[in-house]
This record gives sequence, C-alpha cells and structure tokens, in this order.
Amino acid sequence: MESLDVVTRRVCVANELGLHARPAARLAREAQRFTSKITLCSQEQEVDAKSILDILTLALGPGCNVEIRAQGEDAQVALEQLEQLFLNRFEEVQ
Amino acid sequence: MAETILQGIPVSTGISVGRAFFLNRGHIHNMPRQTIPVEELDKEVSRLEQAFQRALEELERIQTRVPSELMEHARIIDSHIMMLQDPKLLESTKDYIRRMQLNAEWALEKSVEDIESVFRTLEDAYIRERIQDVRVVAGRVQQHLWGGTNSGIKSIHSRVILLAHDLSPADIVELEVGKIMAFATVTGGKTSHSGILARALQIPAIVGVAELEDFIQDGQLIIIDGLQGRIYVEPDEEELSEFTDLKYQFEDYQARIIRSSHLPAETIDGYQVKVFANIELLEEISSVLGNGGEGIGLYRTEYSYLNRINMPDEEQLLDEYRDLASMIHPGKMVIRTLDVGADKFISHFGPLDEANPALGLRAIRFCLHHQDLFRVQLRAILRASVHENISLMFPMISGLGELLRVKAFMGSVQAELKKQGLKYNPKMPVGIMIELPSAMLTADILAGEVDFFSIGTNDLIQYSLGIDRTNSHVSYLYQPLHPALVRMIKYVVDAGHRAGIEVSLCGEMAADPYCIPVLMGMQVDCLSMNPQAIPVTKHIIRQASMEDCKDLLKQVLASRTVSRNNKLVKDSIFRQHPHELMFYSSLLDEGY
Repeated sequence: MESLDVVTRRVCVANELGLHARPAARLAREAQRFTSKITLCSQEQEVDAKSILDILTLALGPGCNVEIRAQGEDAQVALEQLEQLFLNRFEEVQ
Repeated sequence: MAETILQGIPVSTGISVGRAFFLNRGHIHNMPRQTIPVEELDKEVSRLEQAFQRALEELERIQTRVPSELMEHARIIDSHIMMLQDPKLLESTKDYIRRMQLNAEWALEKSVEDIESVFRTLEDAYIRERIQDVRVVAGRVQQHLWGGTNSGIKSIHSRVILLAHDLSPADIVELEVGKIMAFATVTGGKTSHSGILARALQIPAIVGVAELEDFIQDGQLIIIDGLQGRIYVEPDEEELSEFTDLKYQFEDYQARIIRSSHLPAETIDGYQVKVFANIELLEEISSVLGNGGEGIGLYRTEYSYLNRINMPDEEQLLDEYRDLASMIHPGKMVIRTLDVGADKFISHFGPLDEANPALGLRAIRFCLHHQDLFRVQLRAILRASVHENISLMFPMISGLGELLRVKAFMGSVQAELKKQGLKYNPKMPVGIMIELPSAMLTADILAGEVDFFSIGTNDLIQYSLGIDRTNSHVSYLYQPLHPALVRMIKYVVDAGHRAGIEVSLCGEMAADPYCIPVLMGMQVDCLSMNPQAIPVTKHIIRQASMEDCKDLLKQVLASRTVSRNNKLVKDSIFRQHPHELMFYSSLLDEGY
C-alpha cells in the first residue's frame, strides 16, 4: 500500500461560515469510511482529514483553498467523494 | 445573611428557591492522580476505551430523540460524536496512560489540555471556542470513567436548581423540563444558547458565575435571583421569606403584563402610541406577535449580507422582504437599507483600513459608494413594496444634500423598474433615521423631504456625547437623559410634527421603563424595541397619563443636570409603580 501514489485535489471552502464544527464533522465522518490515508493541506499545514479536531485547527474560513491528499487503494474514490462534499457546501441549508 | 452571595449575568428573569444539583462534569480537580503499575496498563486502557464507547452510545441515543423545536441546538451533537470518535483524542489519551502510567482520568485531562493549547493559538474566535465542545465531550467520558451516571441529568428525581460548568446542547435535550426550576452556569454570556433556552422555557437563569463551583455544594439550599443575577447560598429565614414574596409578585406581574400586551398602548387619558418591534430575522416574527408587537419599526437587513461569499441577489431579497411583509400584515413594516461598516463588515469587501470606523464609510455612505450593491437592494425593496404595508428607511443621513442624492438615486432605480415593466408602489412611505447631530439640528429642513423620522438613540447618544459605550473607560458617560439629548429628541419630534410627519424612536431608550414617560410627554408617535421588551413597555404606557408625562417632561426640560433628570424620572416611576420597580432594568446609571 505504501507504494501507491499520492493523489491530490484542490478545493475551495464555499460554506458561508467556513469549515465550522458541523461541516468538519461531516468531512471527518466521510473520510473515515476510506482505508486510504487522507490529509488536508492548507498554508503549509497538513492535517489528518479523519480527525475533526485536526480539521478545526486549520481554521478554514469561507473562500479558503485547501488541498486534499489521499494515498491508498481507495484514494481516487475518496478524493471524488470528499470533493463532492465541498462542492455541495456540506449540504448546509443556505 | 446568606453564607455567600455570588454575582453573574442574568439571562432569563424570575426567582427560584430550591436545592442545588451539580451536573458534575469535566472537572478533574477532585480526581486523584494515580500511577498505574505497568502490569495494569492494559486494563486501564480498556477502561478508557469502554468509557469512550459508552459515552458514544449515550450521545447516539440522545441524538435519536431530539425534539424538533431543539433541532437547531442539537445539530452540534453530531460534531460531539465525531470528537468522541476522533483518533487524536483517544490515541493521545492512551499514549499518556502507557507512557506516563497515568490513570485514565488524568490522561484524558492531559490530552484535552494539549488540544486546548493548539486551539488557543487560532485566530478565528468561533473555532477557538470549539474547545468548549471538546471539554463537554471529555466531560461525558470522565463521567463514565467515574463509573456512574449518578451525577447525570437523568438521575434527578425531584425538582432542583441545576448548576453546571456549562450546559451543552446534549444536556439541554436531556433536561426534563419539569424537574428544573432554574439553572446557573460558570461559562456563558448574554447571548449563549442556554439563555435562549431558559427564556423559551420561562425559567430563571444566570450565566457567567465564575465562582459557582467553589462556593456551592450539592443539596444546599440556594436562591436564584434572575432579576439581579445573584445567587444566595444557604439564605437565612428573612431572605427566604423576602424572595418567596418577590417570586410570587414577579410571577403575578409577568402573567399580568403578558395578558394585557395585546391591548393597545393607550394612556389612562386616552392618548395612543404605537409599539413596534426591531428585528433582524424572519424567525423573530412569532415573538413579535406573541408579545403584542403591532408592527416592525425597524427591520435590519444586514443578516443576508454578513458572513457570506456571494452577495444575495435581487430575487432572494425580494422573497425575504415579501415573506416578512405578508407575515406581519396588516401591521406595517419599515425596512432599513443596509447599515454596515463600523462594527459590521461584509466579508466580500473586508474590513476597511480606517482609523475611526464609527466615523467612516458606513451605512448610507457605504451604499452610495457601492452603488451596484445598493441598486440591488433598492430594486428588491421597491418591488416588494407592492405589499402596501412596507416602508423604506435610510440610515445615517447627515444632511439635506446627502438625502437628495439618495433620493435621486432611488428615482433612477424606479425609472429603471418602470422601463422593465416591473411593479412597485410609487407611494411607499420613505423615511430617514435621525442619528447624527447634524441631521437632528436640520430636522426642520429634512422633514419637508421625507414621510417619517425614526430617531436612532443608540447612535445619536454616542455621536452627541462623543463616547463609545463599549469602551469601559467612558461608558459612564452614556447618559440617555443628558439635557442635550432630551432637547435634541424634543426638537426632532416637534420639527416632524410641524411638517405633519410621524416621528418614531428606535433604540434601547425606547424600551427603558424610566425613559418612556419622558418620551411620551414629547408625544412620540411610535416606540420600536426588541420584542421581549414590548409587554413591559405597554404596561407602563397603559398605567400612565399624558398629563403626568407632559408635566414630567416640563421638569426634565427645565433641569440642568443628568443626575437631576435621572432622579426626576425615577421618582415618577416610583410613584406610579412602587411595587414593580424591582422588575425593571434600565440603561440609566445605577447611582441615581
């Protein structure tokens, strides 16, 4: 598994209040469904996407860009699913 | 005298006398630190894992039975569940157990402290405060580590006064309302969730009582004075009977004023004044109607613009304004155009680099500067105005030149709509806020150009007295009854009436029990305030006589000092309402 490539995707936080507690919970829950190692990278900080606490410490405000990195057998699917979450603004009611 | 008297911030009024019950959570100060022998480390780790597992099951159970009216508060439970499942929290706690041979309770506290130190460095205040959620979650685990739920909410068997470090949304969902007479917490401020809940449940509540956990023991008799924000620990006989009396009086008073809040605000000698509400959100309408509000005197339109990337479009705004107008119908509603700048920024534009934001590009100045933004809002308001209960109001007008410029701009927007065949009400009343001394002194000139005035006392006081009330060094100078203010308000009301237009007053002064009779004496046409203040205001007006109010105003106008004015109005209210005085809270200085 270690030999698998890291795949990445850039996404933008479109939620009105940024990645606050609820969307962070959503993101961590989704990430935990995959076996791949998944991280979020923003401003030279890289954190575990399966940890809500880690995600919160990135303090991603509305409009922030962030890179999702995944490595593992289901990395590609994981990227797509997580990207969808960002695009759907974590299904928050506007 | 009571053993101890503690002071906090009252967030829900009322009095309650009962036994203290501590929701014992998340506080390790009475938990011994133990060194675990190496051979028992595995056992300690599995004890920790079990506690996490039980806490998780508990939260998942709670989540399935959230009553719908608490849904908003309860969504955060989902984040709490994720925190319990967070690899960081559990793994680093296990690590502390194994590495330092700590007992699970201490290990958990250590890892929470580590997380706390990371969060403390974050700039975003909202996210920084999520550390409170981590504490709440860890507290739930701690409770299972101690091996019992004997301090949990479910173990409450008789009616008690609930005391807690903090009340989380999950706690709130678990509360059996009938068993809680009142509550007090260490954390929290005027706007915390727990206060909103307490007001909805109509039980007294005090938050921000720093020493709560140090001075009160489980089972002690305490009095919660939600009027003054005080807690009396082990009160004596005298205090007990005093507060029991006060409690009955207050409940009786509350029931009376709410009952009569749907009657018109008419003085005993037949003078009527309109009592309207200031609101920011659609959801507040039910509170307006429930409290006897007759219309919306100030609809703040900023909410749709703040904290979002894309500005709302015309159709969204149109829907918003139309919905509101039909909900408040047949009552009137006044829409104030965007009032941003100073302390409220639109993230789209970011905070401006200004040395004095309060004197900077804000309110109408901001709109005239960003005309595209302004045009969209004006188009939406104009199109909504086919609902004939809508009026429009411009904030921060400084003089005639500026007003004419705004009106010309509105004229061009109207022409644009007409050309496109879109309907609007050409007779929609248009008014301005009087909140700058320059507008106040030219009120007679401005009156010829508008259909109504609304005096915004909060800003008028600050700009006239030259003080920032949030600055604690000078806030003592925030004096609504400064002779200058009394004269100004009188001048504006008279100028408006001479020109045949209505003058209303929105601002906290409108709902101040001590100021109301003076404002009545000036014959203000409408008072607009936060919905919760309406019943008391109407009650005071219905007990007053216009003759007395005019007489009081005469004395106030003849006085030379603030302290004399404060004394005059206090004496007057005391004569009218000797037994209800303690239920009134006022902006006026304590010392009078």
